[in-house]
Amino acid sequence: MTDALLETKAVAKSYGSVVALRSVDLTVQPGEIHALLGANGAGKSTLVKILSGVIAPDSGTISVNGRSVTMRRPPEALKAGLATVYQDPALVPDLTIAQNLTLTAIDEDAVRSRLTAMGLGRLDFDAQIRDLPLEVLRLLDLARALAHDPQLLLLDEITAALPSDQAEHVFGIMQEWKEKGRSVLFITHRLAEVLSLCDQATILRDGRTVAQVEPRQSGERGLVTPMLGEVAAELEAATSRVISQEAPINLATADLYSGGKVNGISFELRAGEILGIAALEGQGQDRLFELLSGDRRPDRGEVIVNGSPLRARSPYDAIRRGVVLVPSDRVLALLPKRSVRENLAIPLYNRVQRWLGLVGDEDTRTNKAIERLSIDTRAHRQVRRLSGGNQQKVVIGRWLANGFRTLLCFDPTRGIDIHTKRQIYDLLKEVADTGASVLVYTSELPEIPLLCDRVLVIYNGRIVHEQDAATATEEVLLSAAHGLEESA
Amino acid sequence: MTAVVRRRALNLRRHGWSIGVWLLLAILIGWYVLLIPRFGSFQIASIIKNSLPLVYLAIGQAVIVITGGIDLGAGAMLVLTNSTSATLMQDQPFLVTILIGFGIILGAAALNGFVGWIINVSRVPDIVVTLATSFIYSGLALMILPGPGGGTSAGFRILFTGSDDGTGTSFGFSLGMLLVPVVIAAFFMRRSRTGLSLYATGSDLNAAYLSGVDIRRAKVIGYAFGGAMAGLAGLATVAITGSGDPRFSIGANATLNSVAAIVLGGVALTGGIGSVVGAVAAAIIVFFLSPILSAMGIDPNTAQVVQGSLIVVVMMIAGLLALRRRRAK
Repeated sequence: MTDALLETKAVAKSYGSVVALRSVDLTVQPGEIHALLGANGAGKSTLVKILSGVIAPDSGTISVNGRSVTMRRPPEALKAGLATVYQDPALVPDLTIAQNLTLTAIDEDAVRSRLTAMGLGRLDFDAQIRDLPLEVLRLLDLARALAHDPQLLLLDEITAALPSDQAEHVFGIMQEWKEKGRSVLFITHRLAEVLSLCDQATILRDGRTVAQVEPRQSGERGLVTPMLGEVAAELEAATSRVISQEAPINLATADLYSGGKVNGISFELRAGEILGIAALEGQGQDRLFELLSGDRRPDRGEVIVNGSPLRARSPYDAIRRGVVLVPSDRVLALLPKRSVRENLAIPLYNRVQRWLGLVGDEDTRTNKAIERLSIDTRAHRQVRRLSGGNQQKVVIGRWLANGFRTLLCFDPTRGIDIHTKRQIYDLLKEVADTGASVLVYTSELPEIPLLCDRVLVIYNGRIVHEQDAATATEEVLLSAAHGLEESA
Repeated sequence: MTAVVRRRALNLRRHGWSIGVWLLLAILIGWYVLLIPRFGSFQIASIIKNSLPLVYLAIGQAVIVITGGIDLGAGAMLVLTNSTSATLMQDQPFLVTILIGFGIILGAAALNGFVGWIINVSRVPDIVVTLATSFIYSGLALMILPGPGGGTSAGFRILFTGSDDGTGTSFGFSLGMLLVPVVIAAFFMRRSRTGLSLYATGSDLNAAYLSGVDIRRAKVIGYAFGGAMAGLAGLATVAITGSGDPRFSIGANATLNSVAAIVLGGVALTGGIGSVVGAVAAAIIVFFLSPILSAMGIDPNTAQVVQGSLIVVVMMIAGLLALRRRRAK
């Protein structure tokens, strides 16, 4: 009887009250390429951290070649035979390549020969990491991991920033490792890669292992269905709203490019419309929202607000033009120790001309907002004591108090209970009914038909799919978000 | 061929700041030579030996800041070791004072390493913990030596200053005491794996941790090294002045000067960037400004304004250069 190369049993991990992993069973046999799949927040990255020794699990066992191991620090994982290539390369930016290798006590020649095989033989080892592009760092990190000669190679989203020719090199290495009788644990959002490369796939949902399948037998559907789980029972019929095609365009972009993350995005958003954006993590949606909210200027193309280009030096300029952002990190957007009322009034302070009459104006405006939001608390309390959902309402409400024409929401319902979610949907719809535009990115695909009028799917910095939100099923969106529509 | 040229350009860019600071120092010295009527070995000896305490302090501060910390207790450690050594070394023969000196350096390293450990386990920010230790060190100094006093052996004074009364024209010993620690520190930081791990820790904590660096150990080593250098600065002060002085203000000034020196010397307060060599040149400049300004006949009070302005202007130049580089990318 042969032991599995890697076996985890009932691995669990919580951060305070947040459960990241409930119970993960994963078995990787020698000589196989094993995919680890799951929707955003399913627990993949927590599992990677555990398997690379960054964090210790609360409970459960991990064994390598039949022997139980504990890994409290990254070097201990390497010693156990597990080498990880992280999504963000673990290279020290202010040191040179050579110094980084010295740091980890790795032979330069071994790395050099690996890099040569990947077509990077001319890389100057005296170059500083800071000066190198991300795809080179990924491959460098991979070459360094290979130099450890690991039993199991963990590749976390390694192909996400790689041009296809370099991705081919990586696939070649995965095959080589398999033929050596060793294994690869491959984490990716690209289902096409899983279908063509992987022997086995373990699927996580809500911190639990829900299935292990053979991708070549199961096909795409067999991978997607367990990732989604049972269709949410409380799904109700989407109320269709009619958007007049004559309504003015509040926000548009023309062929927007930025740093390889946004690669030519154009869309139009009309008054009264709620436009959804669906994408897997890291497809350029973060950058798109930075561009729209004035946090960053595009390399090429334009953001057009109410018919004229936005040339923002900071979000302040965008806000003045009526484009406001509800960011993903609520705490970041709030003054956690100040009262609800003060938080609602922050943008009002920007209006210098209002300073004289501030007291009265501030009060009536914030009162109106609080009423509209039905924040379930007395408004003089500290914002940090509110629940996540109520905090989110405050972030939205502060713009209600201030007035705006376009509301950008980045994952507004992340980590919020279903009841408050409903309230936020209603709030956003109400906002749209008054003639404002709403652009929503959400990591939860079932929200799209409930909330949006139209949906765009972004993959690799491009819009790959567009349709009416009311008829957008999760399966269609997920396939598009995995780039399957494009490759097929 | 082109690779060599490219590498030269790369090196010039990377060490450009250090080179610039050394050039600035050379210009200041040249100016000083023109300003004063007589420039000879007495002046050279005076500049070298009197800059020693700040140079040592700046080396230690540079190492700590490169590791991602900051030591507001460095000057107080100077005062503490100065007071302790002056008390212990009084009326002792040369050999004993040397042994005491080594003991002081080791003790300072252990004490400051302990501070690094406290920062690790308490997770209180470096600036808060070392602000507290600066008061503790100052208080201890006053307990050991309540007022100026104490002394050391003649041989010990010669070791740092070249003469037994702290004056004179021979500067060989001072130069040696300047160069040896600089070379050791520079090699330690740039060539050893431990030194690289300090850079790594200050540059990117997460990447360093994932690369297998023991980041807690790096912090303790950084602070211990800084403590040892502050101890050496205390010993140099004993040798130069021939006595100990526990006053709080000496330490506070010395700390601020050490921070000014490393910032001027190209060490980023965010960690991971800069070099010991640059910090040393800047430390000499910071020390050297007051003799220059007094040679120009400028009131000592104005001298501080000039010193502060210089730092601001130099940092603005640094900021502009960094901005241009980012734009060019």
